[in-house]
Amino acid sequence: MTPDIPRKEVFRYLGYCGGEPSAEVSMMVEECVAQLQEVAEPRTTHQYFPLECMDEGILHFAGIVVKSRDLAKNLQNCHEVCMMAATIGAEVDRLIRQAEVRRMSEAVIYQAAGAALVEEVCDQLNAEIVSAAQARGLVCRPRFSPGYGDFSLEHQRDFIRILNTPKLLGVCLLDSLLMTPSKSVTAVVGLCHGEVSESLVNHPCERCGCPDCQFRA
Amino acid sequence: MKNDLRKRLGREWLFCDGGTGTILQAKGLKGGELPETWNLTRPEDIIELHAGYLVAGSDIINTNTFGANSLKFNNLNEIITAAVGNVREAMRRTGREDAYVALDIGPTGKMLPPVGDLPFERAVEIFGEVVRLGVAAGVDLVLIETMNDPYEAKAAVVAAKENCDLPVLATIAFNQKEKLTTGGDVDSAVALLEGLHVDALGVNCGMGPRQMAPIVRRMAEISSLPIIVNPNAGLPRSENGRTVFDVGPEEFAEEIFKMASECPVQVFGGCCGTTPEHIVREVAAVRKLPFRPATEKARTVVSSFSHAVEIGQKPIIIGERINPTGKKKFKEALRKHDVEYILQQGIDQEGAGAHVLDVNVGLPEIDEPAMMEEVVTRLQSVLTLPLQIDTSNREALERGMRHYNGKPMVNSVNGKQEVIEQVFPLVAKYGGVLVALMLDEQGIPDNADGRLAIAKRIYEAADRYGVPRKDIVIDCLAMTISSEARSALVTLETLRRVRDELHGNTILGVSNISFGLPMREIVNAHFLTMALQNGLSCAIINPNNAAMMASYRAFCALAALDPNCAEYIEAYANATPGTSAPTVGNAPKTTGENASGSTLSLGEAVARGVTGRAAEATRELLQSGRVGMDIINEELVPALDRVGQGFEKGTVFLPQLLMSAEAAQAAFEVIKETLQGNARQAKGRIILATVKGDIHDIGKNIVKVMLENYGYEVLDLGKDVSPERIVQTAIDEKIRLIGLSALMTTTVVSMAETIKLLREKGVPAKVVVGGAVLTQEYADAIGADYYARDAMETVRYANRIFLSKP
Repeated sequence: MTPDIPRKEVFRYLGYCGGEPSAEVSMMVEECVAQLQEVAEPRTTHQYFPLECMDEGILHFAGIVVKSRDLAKNLQNCHEVCMMAATIGAEVDRLIRQAEVRRMSEAVIYQAAGAALVEEVCDQLNAEIVSAAQARGLVCRPRFSPGYGDFSLEHQRDFIRILNTPKLLGVCLLDSLLMTPSKSVTAVVGLCHGEVSESLVNHPCERCGCPDCQFRA
Repeated sequence: MKNDLRKRLGREWLFCDGGTGTILQAKGLKGGELPETWNLTRPEDIIELHAGYLVAGSDIINTNTFGANSLKFNNLNEIITAAVGNVREAMRRTGREDAYVALDIGPTGKMLPPVGDLPFERAVEIFGEVVRLGVAAGVDLVLIETMNDPYEAKAAVVAAKENCDLPVLATIAFNQKEKLTTGGDVDSAVALLEGLHVDALGVNCGMGPRQMAPIVRRMAEISSLPIIVNPNAGLPRSENGRTVFDVGPEEFAEEIFKMASECPVQVFGGCCGTTPEHIVREVAAVRKLPFRPATEKARTVVSSFSHAVEIGQKPIIIGERINPTGKKKFKEALRKHDVEYILQQGIDQEGAGAHVLDVNVGLPEIDEPAMMEEVVTRLQSVLTLPLQIDTSNREALERGMRHYNGKPMVNSVNGKQEVIEQVFPLVAKYGGVLVALMLDEQGIPDNADGRLAIAKRIYEAADRYGVPRKDIVIDCLAMTISSEARSALVTLETLRRVRDELHGNTILGVSNISFGLPMREIVNAHFLTMALQNGLSCAIINPNNAAMMASYRAFCALAALDPNCAEYIEAYANATPGTSAPTVGNAPKTTGENASGSTLSLGEAVARGVTGRAAEATRELLQSGRVGMDIINEELVPALDRVGQGFEKGTVFLPQLLMSAEAAQAAFEVIKETLQGNARQAKGRIILATVKGDIHDIGKNIVKVMLENYGYEVLDLGKDVSPERIVQTAIDEKIRLIGLSALMTTTVVSMAETIKLLREKGVPAKVVVGGAVLTQEYADAIGADYYARDAMETVRYANRIFLSKP
């Protein structure tokens, strides 16, 4: 089932920080969202691994070594991680490409709606991971993706290989280390005993250190 | 001496082997470790694996080379040679020298365009190297498997065919919705593989036999080739970070038995999670059943990456608009390399109801083969319709067919020996449904007997080249009735007789019938109905023409080819009698149009971005006597400026900015029609390009829309553009402003290189840069003249450059 696309997020990606969309824009967003929802094919996968050791910002899990102070901070006190990947499929990209030829305003709305949808798909999967962890008496850290802070995008190669995304999700890497289909996400979620403050869990922008991002909420 | 596999395939039961990765994992292969390395490091384990399957009864043993290619290994030769040696050794030890060594080829792990960035030719190269090494090591066949993109399978099949004469088998991995991750279905995958003349095709991996059953059923219904079924031991399930499969040997064999009793499948095996024990039970179960060979299905099918279109059931519409003949604007687009214009023609025709699009980009002064490849590839990146590659240039034909994702239509061959010799080998190699024109060295026969004689000769030629007769569509030729009174009657007789005597499919360029007459649409539309009534299978027409589509839809409804008249009703339910017929039922929609927009002034329509109303208001102003240039200067430009300023102040946002630009564009188009020769002078010419290595060009496209709106001519070089090309174009076109876009930190390097080369070559143009990761500091560091944060800033900068004198 394709989840509903949160309109608030669509408008945030479109740059409406607080501004009200006109009736024409709202109507167009509704039509584009409906179209996108029809062609999107959300798919996800995830796997758990022990977090083997962690010192001085060097992490070992799933047979890989990650040097990242930001990720180390995120995973502090964790003993296990869940690696996850999600996509909404290749047809969304075709829709965007076609709109780029036919009508650019639709293309930017599809872009925004696609970004909002894949995040929503991630949120749903993340919620499942959180409740599975709760059942085991564990709590989760906010998800963290390659490219956030000093967590190198190079590690996309590891996510793609370990989660076998080309086969399971149809998600591959481009030479630029971006994923295709473009509306795809990889992330890692840390599991630990104890409690995580609500603010860390809730705000997506809290996960990223980028200070001058135009989409920062 | 071993029997020729081709002689056994499809004539008796044959069995593949089962899972490799899952068994190696049990032997200690770590997650992330490449199984192919074991050919060298742990050959005994690999030999044991193969031996297990040989003893179990497998006839076709895959080498342990699934991921062996030069993207992952630099000792490819060693690995492949060892892998083949390991199978041979297992055959020797088990006394199964009757078995076949299959060079196993899996996906590269990279995606081909339009989804990914591995070029088709590069994929052919990568697979070609594997095939050459495998052949040198002595494999008996090539088995291409687990392909979830049939286009990548095509690259592998082409590579196999170009490097050996061994049998080629190909199996596709579907998901549970019977779809491919790239959007295709069973029919489109089968059409593509049949077109490539593989020796057998089928399905593997992804799921167990139970989930696979509907896919296999459909394959057996439509494929004329032997079918291979290699399922997993059920659906994969994750357990403590390991992938496990739940279907045991007994249950697996039961499911396979059920499938084999239901549909004719000729080759069975297994995939992930299956073991020699699964294969033992499977072989025993299947051998209880009588063998059923694949049967010829008389289906004429063309396909795109996403779906197949069958010819010969309901007549189909082939859109004719992608063709420069008699079209000034189209010729201009070809000369200016304006591929977007051509794509737009395709999108319009898809919206108007075409089933296939003819693609002709022939113009003497352009590089037709390169243009054909580019247009075919780019059309397939934005729309799903199958294409008809239309050219008399052999190289253009090959480039188009080779890069086509699917089984194309090919336009055309005729009775001339020279043309037969040029075209048939390409169809035999790449697959396609071939349009055959009823003319030869003596010209066009003026009677049906003469045309049928040519048709028969072409069918015979097809036999010689191994192209199935069903893949020929006879063009009975429509010649104008204005010069030859009986010409329509001859065409109609030919249509009937091809259908009744030759049992063939037919095609016509319908509108030729009225050449030289007034109100051609009347004759064309009626002739279309007559042709359809006489058996026409494919009508090449302009689907944007309402009268033609009305004839087509009415015919289909009347001939019981439109169940419940559904398509007819969908197209005309909202039409008003008495007015000219509406263009289409499912025309490209204009989103965001407001019903209450009909009273808006032009300025308001532009400000609010109501495209339809903006065009209408412009027409009203023109009718009231206003001059085009005045409307531009007094209405459009001020309205656009207000929106632009709003955007800069943060009260108007990107979608609205673009919608306004589009509404203004619609108004400009209306005015342009009235200006004729007195066209709005471009304020300046600007190059836009997304730099090398970067394939994300939405930002650049936004800037393009805005610049054009403000009266600039944009030379859009596209994405992934080399510094050399940008420099050369800037010199050739005497360009004063260049806009470069880059999305990623990694590609800002290419941006820097481009600027460096521009300066080195002394190009006097200013360079404005933009893109997600760019900042003022970055722009300064790489020597750009200006950093534009968004599209409006680029417009303002362009105004500064061009409105001040050089």
